[in-house]
Amino acid sequence: MADMEFTAWFGKLKLGDAGELEDCSLFDKDPEKLAGLVVELHGNVQDVPLQRPDLREVALESCFVELDEDYDVLLRDVCIRAAKSQISQTDTDDSRIIQAVQALDDIDKNVNELSERLFEWYGRYFPELEMTGEELARFISAYGSRANVPEGHALSEKASQSMGAELSFADEELLRALANNICSLYDTRRYIENYINTSMGSVAPNLCNITGASIGARLISMAGSLQKLAAFPSSTVQVIGASRALFKHLRSRAPSPKHGTIFNNPVIKNAPWWQRGKLARALAAKISLAARTDFYSGELSPSIKEALDKKLDSIRQANPNPPKREPKAQPQGKGGKKTHRGKRKGGKR
Amino acid sequence: MSVKELSRGIYELNLDDRKMLATRNIMPGLSVYGERLIVDDGTEYRQWEPSRSKLGAMVLKNFEIPLEPDSTVLYLGAASGTTVSHVSDMLTDGLVYAVEFSPRTMRDLIQLCDQRPNIIPILADANKPQSYAHIVEKVDVIFQDVAQPNQAEIAAINSKYFLEEHGHLMLSIKSRSIDTVASPKKVFKEEVRKLESDFDIEFEVLQRKELDPFHEDHLGLVARMFVDDED
Repeated sequence: MADMEFTAWFGKLKLGDAGELEDCSLFDKDPEKLAGLVVELHGNVQDVPLQRPDLREVALESCFVELDEDYDVLLRDVCIRAAKSQISQTDTDDSRIIQAVQALDDIDKNVNELSERLFEWYGRYFPELEMTGEELARFISAYGSRANVPEGHALSEKASQSMGAELSFADEELLRALANNICSLYDTRRYIENYINTSMGSVAPNLCNITGASIGARLISMAGSLQKLAAFPSSTVQVIGASRALFKHLRSRAPSPKHGTIFNNPVIKNAPWWQRGKLARALAAKISLAARTDFYSGELSPSIKEALDKKLDSIRQANPNPPKREPKAQPQGKGGKKTHRGKRKGGKR
Repeated sequence: MSVKELSRGIYELNLDDRKMLATRNIMPGLSVYGERLIVDDGTEYRQWEPSRSKLGAMVLKNFEIPLEPDSTVLYLGAASGTTVSHVSDMLTDGLVYAVEFSPRTMRDLIQLCDQRPNIIPILADANKPQSYAHIVEKVDVIFQDVAQPNQAEIAAINSKYFLEEHGHLMLSIKSRSIDTVASPKKVFKEEVRKLESDFDIEFEVLQRKELDPFHEDHLGLVARMFVDDED
């Protein structure tokens, strides 16, 4: 009978048929090296015999440690080192993209809130200024009070005849500071977008090619990693981001969602409602394929895009007109998201 | 203030007619997650919020907690270590192996391990006990609180590899991670059936109770591993 070998954190154990210890070769008692080994063994899962000697006993008998407490102290030290090094290894390319996507969402949320406040506040002093968002912030940052708009400026007439109140110096400084901050958030947003575009180009070239960097990044973010996205069936990819609609469908008789975040792709967004489900299915299939190619090979393969375009064209040609519905065939302007209570639509997804 | 020991190392403090659960702080002066520290007669206690801990809820639901000061515990699904810290308080002479799969939560757990001498952190998947068999010895108790669809299976395979004969398994079953739609009662029944008969090791379920109102749709369960005496 062949002997069993089992590697413990402190050494290699040779076991007999009944799991009894036959031989034990100890490792170097260096915590850093042992930690490296512990991490390695987390990854390369070994065959573990159910009948095996107690690790603590072996370590004591083989004099790897002298006392019970020494075992605890050393093992704790080794495991803390191991866990720390594992944590530092989790910073991968796609994890950085995920942070960037989430930062983008946070900035959008906050910048909208702040812009609205700026609009309300500044509106007291220059209500005729028809600006919002970044344009407004840039204007305030440049001029402050409407009194500072120079002559010859497109808005100088409006500024001088405004019904708005006078802006005191203190308030002007405050509004300027707020506007400056909003401008810098818009700048940061652009940096992040560029960052996502470039890193998606190297991390997931096929995904970018199929659905663009921002939707691709969003899909990775929602899936949790590129690996997870690659492992999803394309039916899941199709509805990522539509979880509420999906669970409503699973719980009740609501129709199944046709698309999740991939709706933002112009292919679907600009399509007439009756084609959207079909196009979404084709797009999701190729997104899966692209994610898998990106994760497992990393090479750009243009054939995916070509096949997708072909498929999309054939769907468009096969369904040029809206289907007729029996009871009332009303043309639906927006369609797609409407709920049809109690009745399932045949063939649509 | 009066102090009553509900179970080994678990206390009920009566402070101004308010009852609270607590453990004796083995690291006096240090609060782990912002919980209240209460000193009585030279002993410092850490308040234990049952709505933040399945184990705490199990105590208040009158479970018999099989933890002794010198127990060795395998804790699956340690998360940020809220409950682990209280287990660590109880094990004045014992050790807890804390397994957690998410690197993000492990980041918090590590801070706790740095403070306390009796927690061994393991960043690994509880689905694969072989991946940490090189670290974990035989344990007296397995406590499991993982939000996974195969909770019974995880408990069974870990017991198979690590639980001492007649060791105890404490389980918190979250019905929502097994089936979001089905009724929790049905899910619990099925999980208990699986635990009792689906695997090559058997369990004798000693106690089971739902953990409401502290945790919705959770079942607490204490079982003992059943060993054939023939071997």
